[in-house]
Amino acid sequence: MAKEVMLHAVGIDKQFGPTHAVDHVSLDFNKGEIHALIGENGSGKSTFTNMLTGIISIGEGTFELDGERIEPKNQVDANHHGAAVIVQEQGTLDGLTVAENMFLGDEDQFISGGIKNTGAMIKKAQELLDSYGLDYIKAVDPIENYNFEDRKLVEIVKSTWFGPKVLVVDETTTALSQNGRAELFTVMNKVREDNRTVIFISHDMAEVLAMSDTISILRDGEFIKTVSAKDVTEDELKTLMVGRQMSEHYYREDYEGSMAGDVAISMKDVSVPNQLEDVSLDLHKGEILGIGGLSECGMHEVGKALFGASFERSGEVTLADGTSVKDINTAINHSIAYASKDRDNESLLTADTIQDNITLPSLRKMGLPLSKRRQKQFANKYAKEMSVKMVNTDQFVSALSGGNKQKVVLARWLGAESDILLLDSPTRGIDIKVKADIYALLDEMRKQGKAILVISEEIMELIGMCDRILVMKDHKINGELERSRELTEQDLIALMV
Amino acid sequence: MSDTNNSAVMANAMGEKGKGGLLTKVNFRSILPLIGFALILLFFAVATQGKIVQMKNLRLILNSTYVLMISAIGVFMIMSMGSLDFSQGSMIGVCCIVVCTLSHVSPVLSVVGGILTGAVIGAVNAYFHVRRQIASFIVTICMMFLLRGIVAFLTTNAPAQGAGYLQGSLNNPTLLLTITVVCLAVFYVVFNFTPLGSNLKAIGASQTAARFAGIKVQKTKTLVYIAAGAITGFAAFILAIRNGSVTATGGNMMETQIMLALVLGGLPISGGAKVRFSNIVVGVLTYCILDRGLSMMGFEAAPKQLIMGVVFLVFLALFSDRDSNQVIK
Repeated sequence: MAKEVMLHAVGIDKQFGPTHAVDHVSLDFNKGEIHALIGENGSGKSTFTNMLTGIISIGEGTFELDGERIEPKNQVDANHHGAAVIVQEQGTLDGLTVAENMFLGDEDQFISGGIKNTGAMIKKAQELLDSYGLDYIKAVDPIENYNFEDRKLVEIVKSTWFGPKVLVVDETTTALSQNGRAELFTVMNKVREDNRTVIFISHDMAEVLAMSDTISILRDGEFIKTVSAKDVTEDELKTLMVGRQMSEHYYREDYEGSMAGDVAISMKDVSVPNQLEDVSLDLHKGEILGIGGLSECGMHEVGKALFGASFERSGEVTLADGTSVKDINTAINHSIAYASKDRDNESLLTADTIQDNITLPSLRKMGLPLSKRRQKQFANKYAKEMSVKMVNTDQFVSALSGGNKQKVVLARWLGAESDILLLDSPTRGIDIKVKADIYALLDEMRKQGKAILVISEEIMELIGMCDRILVMKDHKINGELERSRELTEQDLIALMV
Repeated sequence: MSDTNNSAVMANAMGEKGKGGLLTKVNFRSILPLIGFALILLFFAVATQGKIVQMKNLRLILNSTYVLMISAIGVFMIMSMGSLDFSQGSMIGVCCIVVCTLSHVSPVLSVVGGILTGAVIGAVNAYFHVRRQIASFIVTICMMFLLRGIVAFLTTNAPAQGAGYLQGSLNNPTLLLTITVVCLAVFYVVFNFTPLGSNLKAIGASQTAARFAGIKVQKTKTLVYIAAGAITGFAAFILAIRNGSVTATGGNMMETQIMLALVLGGLPISGGAKVRFSNIVVGVLTYCILDRGLSMMGFEAAPKQLIMGVVFLVFLALFSDRDSNQVIK
């Protein structure tokens, strides 16, 4: 059955300086389909859809949506033309109410005679929320009263209630729990049933195969191929994305979990208001200790607490030699590394060069006078070791893709010769190839006897990589699981909820 | 004449920007202030029939840069971190009064007194900005009010008169030039060859990320404000040598002169990665040539200020780096 074309993209192209983010991509998206767009980090998926939805300007080429050529100036303009997006990061603004966020930039419909009818706006917002089954969210409340997931759901309502012809779902699922995902998938299916189009971006291949009808693959900004979801396997997709055969092993292969090493760092009765309650744990040399839980369970604070970065922390964090870690400086001086979940704000200086980002914590060890050449060599060495995709180390980090940013973070701590690595969501928003690299690196470092803590919302990652897994619930540790071949997702989920 | 010159260069610039990739753009950006400096020099060389490039006038210009150059070092550090300081001019006024008063006791005491006064004022700024978490520009504007009051009060009856040797044996151009060059050289080394420069730029780029990379943000900020005060206190000593006394308007508007000079020199207002030491030298020289050149063309103080205001706006509209404009902390 031939389907009608909803979106006809011709020769779409975008360059950021020397980076050719999207290279003359021509693609058709049909009505009544969920069309997945997949590719590695930096393959140009988001850049492509961002041009469609007015987040960035179109470099070259044309979008023809349902027979009409569109050149959206901004997101609201794109909405008016029938193109909407749910973005990867937080897309709602603090300081505004739920209703104000939902109608941001589109308040005109409630304005008559120059006066905005706030009551009508709130009423309409609440009706929409109710119709999506989200009646526990109140339109009058400030948006910051809700957690990340609920805010994401508000965004879903915001982007879909007006029935856009094409809905872009950009890597949204990683931010959602199982319930939130189910909600999102319902919305996506509804768009398809209405004979409209969903462009679905995700790194989760299983999810892509389960949800979509058609899959298009991008690699390095170029269009590779469009395939039908029922004709391909996960492995074939991975091969298409990476451009070569992926090796079989992805996670580590051994199942002899070990915690035989000495304790490298331990925390005792650590509490942080609203985050942690009397948490104690030991991290051993040569082990990967995983921490899992629902995103609000407090597990992300464990990394900060161990790194001396928590505000208002009580309890003790001690190193093997008895040193008490109270601040970040002490932590770094005792070769502790920390990669935050909030990569762009807490781990990286995005408005700075790759070189500065890599050298920053190691400058203190380089001796005086600091030599420019030495810094450059240092940055180059570790950027190459992590195979950061870049022109040179003078490039700004803000121009890099998520996976490459994370590589810069890891390069920094490799350079600092850290023995204790605290990694919060190390593979968040990162494609399979870089993920595989990171897993291999973790395994290698584990064998070198380094102590590694992995905090993750991805259950398979915890099962696949960790010697031990601590599962947290309501700011406390709720159970401990040993590495074993028999460990299943259900075992972890049971402890989380 | 200058107009055609200007537009030709600009057209050139635009063309280059259009063709070049990111890298050439970055490099090009970093030499823009230098081009501005050259343009201004060229303009005045023509407008004054070459008088401005005569040795005598160049000396005069050089003499007028010392105070600005030294005090700009401190402000440069503050602005690298993305903060501002509006209290510098009034601080110079207060420090200058201290210097003049103590100069009657001993020269050493007067230098030390000036430096300490500046450091104490800097510490108060730091206390409110860093400890009490108030935005730097509002703290330092309040401080400016306060210090202006002090200067006016202390000079109500008569200007604070310095000892004779200030204007006498010490007022030696070679000595002052040497002092300025030494200050710049020391700071150049400290900024480029110790972690200080990187740390300041990192704080300007992102305070949170800098903290997570192990930089003691609060401590660094506090020390920088104190150091900037101390440096300005020293600059006040140089000013006392040049002027001999302080009136109620001592150091008036100098904070804006310093900040404008730095921005003309290419310093991004939000600080961060693109900060360069050359911003100080190029900026202050540009400012002083403009100032001196207009005087030589026969402009009185009031129209001169008006013209300078226009020139600054045009310069910034053409040359300032909008990519790195962020919220001032």
